[in-house]
This record gives sequence, C-alpha cells and structure tokens, in this order.
Amino acid sequence: MKNWLIKKKSGLFCEPGNFYIDPIRPVDSALITHAHTDHARPNNKKILATKETINIMKIRYQDNYCKTKQQIKYGEKININGVHVKFVPAGHIIGSAQILLEYKGEKVIVSGDYKRRYDKTCQPFEINKCDTFITEATFALPVFNHPNDKIEVKKIIDSIKGNSDQVHLIGVYALGKCQRLICLLRDLGFDETIYLHGALLKISNYYETEEIDLGSLKNVTEIKDFKGGELVLCPPSALHDRWSQKFKNVIKGFVSGWMTIRQRIKQKNINLPIVISDHADWNELIDTVKEVSPENVLVTHGREEALLSFLKKKGYNCGSLNLLGFEDEDD
Amino acid sequence: MIDFSNLLDNLLLNSSKKKKIDFLSDYFQSQTQQNKIWALSILSKSFVNKLVKVKDIKELLKGKVDEDLFLYSYDYVGDLAETFSLLWPKDNSKIINSQSLSSFMSSLEKQTSKDDLIIFLTNHFSTCLPNEIYTTIKILLGGLRVGVSNELLKESLSKIGSRSKEEIEENWYGFSFPYNGFFEWLNGESLPKQFNSKDLFHSFMLSNPFNENLIKKIEIKNYTCEYKWDGIRGQITVSKNGKIYSRNGEDITSSFPELKIKSDKVSVLDGELVVKKENTIFSFNELQKRIGRKKVSKKILSDLPVHFICYDILFFNNLDVRKLPFFERRVFLQNYIKKLNHPNISISPLINFVSWSELRSIKENSFNNHIEGIMLKNKNSIYKSGRPALCWYKWKRDPFLEDFIIMYAQRGHGKRSSFYSDFTFGCWIENKINTLVPIGKAYSGFTNDELKKLDKWVRDNTLERFGPVRSVKPGLVVEIAFDNLNFSNRHKSGIALRFPRINRIRWDKPIEEVCILDDIKKLIN
Ligand SMILES: [Zn+2]
Ligand SMILES: [Zn+2]
Repeated sequence: MKNWLIKKKSGLFCEPGNFYIDPIRPVDSALITHAHTDHARPNNKKILATKETINIMKIRYQDNYCKTKQQIKYGEKININGVHVKFVPAGHIIGSAQILLEYKGEKVIVSGDYKRRYDKTCQPFEINKCDTFITEATFALPVFNHPNDKIEVKKIIDSIKGNSDQVHLIGVYALGKCQRLICLLRDLGFDETIYLHGALLKISNYYETEEIDLGSLKNVTEIKDFKGGELVLCPPSALHDRWSQKFKNVIKGFVSGWMTIRQRIKQKNINLPIVISDHADWNELIDTVKEVSPENVLVTHGREEALLSFLKKKGYNCGSLNLLGFEDEDD
Repeated sequence: MIDFSNLLDNLLLNSSKKKKIDFLSDYFQSQTQQNKIWALSILSKSFVNKLVKVKDIKELLKGKVDEDLFLYSYDYVGDLAETFSLLWPKDNSKIINSQSLSSFMSSLEKQTSKDDLIIFLTNHFSTCLPNEIYTTIKILLGGLRVGVSNELLKESLSKIGSRSKEEIEENWYGFSFPYNGFFEWLNGESLPKQFNSKDLFHSFMLSNPFNENLIKKIEIKNYTCEYKWDGIRGQITVSKNGKIYSRNGEDITSSFPELKIKSDKVSVLDGELVVKKENTIFSFNELQKRIGRKKVSKKILSDLPVHFICYDILFFNNLDVRKLPFFERRVFLQNYIKKLNHPNISISPLINFVSWSELRSIKENSFNNHIEGIMLKNKNSIYKSGRPALCWYKWKRDPFLEDFIIMYAQRGHGKRSSFYSDFTFGCWIENKINTLVPIGKAYSGFTNDELKKLDKWVRDNTLERFGPVRSVKPGLVVEIAFDNLNFSNRHKSGIALRFPRINRIRWDKPIEEVCILDDIKKLIN
C-alpha cells in the first residue's frame, strides 16, 4: 500500500478519493462496510453503502443516519476521483461488504468483518485477488476453532426439551446473530414462537421485509406469565440487567464465538454457552489470506499480534493497522 | 470420560448450590461403581498426581504448536489446561468416544514413571475431545476450581441414599480410596468390617466473624471469652494408635510426635498448635518450620517444641460429649487435662468480662505476636461441625494499615484469569529514591471495576514479562491491611505480614510518600 490510503484520527482515509471507510466520527464522505454500530456511525454528510446497510442505519439512527446517501450493488463499479470502488459480499451479516479499491493499478481490499461459513441470511464471502489485504482479526488466536453451528443450535433445543420448567434467555447480537440463529433453529424444526426483546424486534422485522422468513416472533411484552420452556432472545447487555430480573426460573445462554473460552463463560455468568460466530475463526482467517494471496497484509480489529507473528513466519509482508474505535462485537 | 467432563463444566457454569447438588447427585446416581469411586476421589481432592507438573504439560506441546502462538493464546485464555486442550492438534478419525472415567484412571495409575506417563498422555490426547483433554489436565495438575467443597459433596451424597448429611459427616474420614463399602453403606447397609471408627477425624466446629450489629442481637451474659491463638487448628485423638489431625483432616501425627498420646479409651481434643518454649509462645513463622515434616530431629524438638492449647473436648474416655452444652464440656475438658497432666498440653483460659466495652478493650489490647483477637462462645452451644449460627464468633483485632508500592502483577485464577489481579507490593529499602524491596503479596479486596482499572494500569505500565507475571513501573500506591507482622529470615525484606490484603487503591498518592523498610520493622513489638 502506497501513501494514498492512510490512517487518520477519524479512521481509514483514501486521499485521492477524499473519503473514509467506516469512520469513527462524522466526516464529509464515508464508505460503510456493514451496519454494525462500530462500523456504521450516524451523522456523516454523505455515505456510500449497500441498500441493506443503508436501510438498517435508517432504522437505527432515523434522521441522523446521514445527510445524503448513495446505494451500491455488490459487484457494481464506481469511480471516485480516479479511485475505482467495488463492494463484494463479506458473508458477515445482511448487506455486509468487503470494499475493493483500485488506484493507479494498485488493488487494496478492506475486508470489514467477515466469515466463511454458510449463513442463510447473507451472501457468502467472495474471494478477490489484491495487492494489499486489510483483514479483521477478531478471533485471530489458534484456540478459536468455531464448531459446527448445527451442533451448537441443537444444544439450545435440547436444553429447552430437558428443562421445560425454565425460561431460556439467550443473549444474541441484535443485528445478524439474532436472525441467523432463528433461521438455524427453524431449519432444525423448532417451530415454537420465539420471544424477542424490543431491541431485536425492529431489526428482525426488517429482515422479514427482505424476505428472510423467521417464523413466529413475539415481543416479550406481549406475554405476562412465562410458564417455562419459552425461548427468549435479548441483546447480551440485557442478560444481567434489571430487565432480565423479571424472569424467575431461568437458564441464561449467550451465542458468541467468545463462548469457546470457559473463563469468559464464567465471567459472564452464562449457563448455556453457544459457540456461533459471524467472524472467521483462526483457520478461516489464514485460509482467506492464502486464497486472496496478497503481497501485503494489514491486520486490524482484534488480536493482531498472533496473526502477524504467524504471517511473518510464513513470509508475508505484513503489519498492524491499529484502528481505534472497534470493539469486540459480541461483547 | 465425557460424562465426567460434562459434570465439571456444569459445576463450573452453575453457581447455585442447589444446581450443583443436582448435577452431582445425578452423576452419582447414573454412573457405574467404578466411575463413582474415581469421581469421588477426584472431587474430594484425595487423588493426587506427583509425576507430571505444569512444565511437563507445556513441554508436550513443543513441536506441535508454534511457541509464540502458544504464548499469545495462553496469555489470552489464562488457564493452561484450557489453552492446551484448544491447541492440541485434532485428528477426528482417531477420536474414541467410549472410554470411561474409570478405565482412563486405572490406565493412568499403571504409569509408574514420568516417561511412561508422558507417552500414555500423548496417545490419550490424540484420541479424545478437547473437553476431555481439559479434564485430564485438571485431574493431573489439581485445582479443578468448580466450586465443590467436601461439604457440598457430602450434601449431594446424602441425596442419593438413605444416609443423612450428619451420618456421612461422622464417617467421612473413615473411608478412603477405593471407598470399599461406602456406596453400599449410603444405601443402608452396615459399615464395612474393616472400618475403623476409633481414630476418625471429626470435622471442626468453626466460628463466624463478629460484627458490631451483633451487640444488639446477642445476650452478652450467654457468652464466654477466650483468646484467638495464632497457630494452626488441630485435633488430638487419644486412642490405641494416637493421632493428630489438621483442620482438613490430614493426619499430621508424624510432624508433632510430642502430642501423640495412646490410650485404650478414645478421647478427642480440639485446640491450637503453637510453638512454646519456657512459657514463651513463638510467632507463627516458627511454627511453620514444624509443619509438613515427616520426621522431626531432636534438635528441632528441643529448639521448637510444640504446644497444644485446648479449646474443647469431643470425646471424653469413650463418651461422646458433643451434644452437651459448651459450659458442661468445659468441665469435662478441665478434668481431662488435669488428669492427663501433659507438659505440652494446656487449656485456653477463659477471660472474665462484664461489658461490651470491656470486651472491646480486651480485643484491642491483645496485641501480641501469637494472638489474633478474641473468641466469643455461646455457653449453651453444642459441638457441631461447620459454622452453625449464633454459636461461636471470632472478633479480630483491627488490622494494621500501611501504604506500599505495586512491584509485580500476576494474572489471577478462575473467574479472574484474564485480569492481572495478584500483586506483589513493596517499600523503599533506605531512602525514598533508591530501590524497592518486596514485602508481600495480596490478591483480594477490590471490586470488579477496580479490578478492571488495575488490570489496565498494569498493562499500561509493564516493564518486563515473565510468563504470567509482569514487573511494573513503580507508580501505584496501595493501602494494605494485615493482621500481624514478624521478623522472618525467609523473606528478602526480613519481615513477613500475616494475611495481607489490599484495603484501598491510592491512585493519587505519590510513591515518594511511602515509608522505608525500617519504619515497618518498628511496628513489630
Ligand atoms: Zn460486524
Ligand atoms: Zn466489527
């Protein structure tokens, strides 16, 4: 990567194109990889993103989502002051994209967040060759080998069967994880009504307008007495706050890649850990770098040191792009 | 083995006592006799492996996992067994699901040398799931940390048969691996023939901490007062064999031969072991030199003679007196000690008092290197194991408070394993610009928010890393509370603190204001 893509206080900046990618504070012009709140923030003057990303930003931020917007389709090419811009699927959540930039013959891919597993709710990650690959590193430690998601989802169904006197309160990230989990449950034949915390319902309703069938959903407030055996989904932060105290006899679960680690599970007071992640695990990160086969790799967003140490030993020219403002998503 | 792994995970992830008991009793009800005895041995911490240590386990990963990647992973995960289990290369074609806990444990026991055990483990790890690898390492290195005390275990066992918790408690120490007849006895059969009920250890009666609110709640005239001696709690069983037990029921007779007393009639005494010579009780540090010895030399016997200060009596010449009230037991105790007339055994004297204010001054003036405060005992209380309410109270002297400087930090254990939560603190050696000397370690006493702040401070101020330990730039002052202090030639500083804990973090206090070593030494009377 030459000097046309640089790190600034507000985030990653493309000098000739005069735009930022996923800026952490309001800027004049922003390209947004996906709608998670640490990537898509309100109050930018102008945004360029996929239709789904823009729609979700609108739901989340209402009038503040931006001043002007421009939609871009996967695969569509746009020229911004001589920088060729293309969005391709990242497989992370609905509408999520890798951003391909080409300037004076040099190709850079900003991966955003991505995963390689099948996910009914979004298009799969697309491999593209480039000179410089900027990859996320959320789960970049060899201890992370995400298991088969069907086996994990079955744990929820089995637990509900085996503990039919208890309410199952499961923490899920409101955008992406929630809907993917519901689809997985439905695919395994779980037809019961699923109760959602208000924060999850808005986004889930949006998914339905995108023709992703989530089956019977109800707002938690629609029911007064939980008899036991119900499945309630809520944001992770609500698992232990005052809201959750209204459920008496409860099993608390959390659906996240972090649930691989016992001490994390214990710290969060989780009884039912479910390891499903919307990020690539260690092997997937490495395989992705191999397939993309870039000359340079820049690592950001997570546990960079381990991946850098590994890639260096494999002969990659690599470094850390310490972008601030990105949190562990599922935390 | 997977059943046992699942049991451990369920115990770890469910902190409610009721849930834990359910999981344990379900396990004991559903397993084979052989699995049960191994599970009992592991959970009660009586199974101990001495062949492999932490470093041998780490060694196993060499050549299989890149060393840097191991370190990054270990640093993140914080637990060796878990890091190892997640990093061990998996070969799904080799995984066997059917091995039981007992077949694994009995093959493990057949490995008599370290080399054999290492080969055995390498094969074993290649055939099992990460959870089982984790369990195996936890079994080998000890420290399950699943929140199961022996009390909880006894309570769970009382749910699966016809024996009450009290009955189990009473006979618990008479059974040991392979627990012959134990599960049959739980189901109502009589005790096995070879069962020795004479030398049994009886769990101690313990006290609850005193707090000022109790002054309004309890009737002062119902209580007696005696000193809380700073030694180690012990139980002398006078019997055909003659035994001395530690607080956990460990047989420590060989370390304290001067207290071994044989008799045809069984008597059991509860008291405190201290080192006492010519009417002077020595500090706890001197007692430590007597702990854990298999054989005691003549020199040590004469230099550091041990003395037993009796608190109570459980059996008086075959008579079980535990159901009698304290003041009546006290009469039996006085009679017994008088008749015994043993130079190394005496009675803990009762201290007269009439008012709370008098008690408070007795407590505060009890400063002495072998007294921690006072004990209040209800005159009518029976002897009951555990910490029964409203019976015995310990009222400790207010602790010393001193400011020190954080020098090293180590990652904690269990719940705190991803945080730096164990600290070595020190003070200046001579004047305030020269070097620091470590004084002690403290790991308790802060809230989770403080823990996070401290953790961040450590990461921002690290000088060097040695495995899980980091040395930090001198810069943070903490107020340490401790119960007592003494000279000690085992510590570089020459002093040892008793029960140091962090009382508060002095974010604002400059390190130059921390005292020098000599100021601390002056506190020793
Ligand atoms: Zn994301
Ligand atoms: Zn992210």
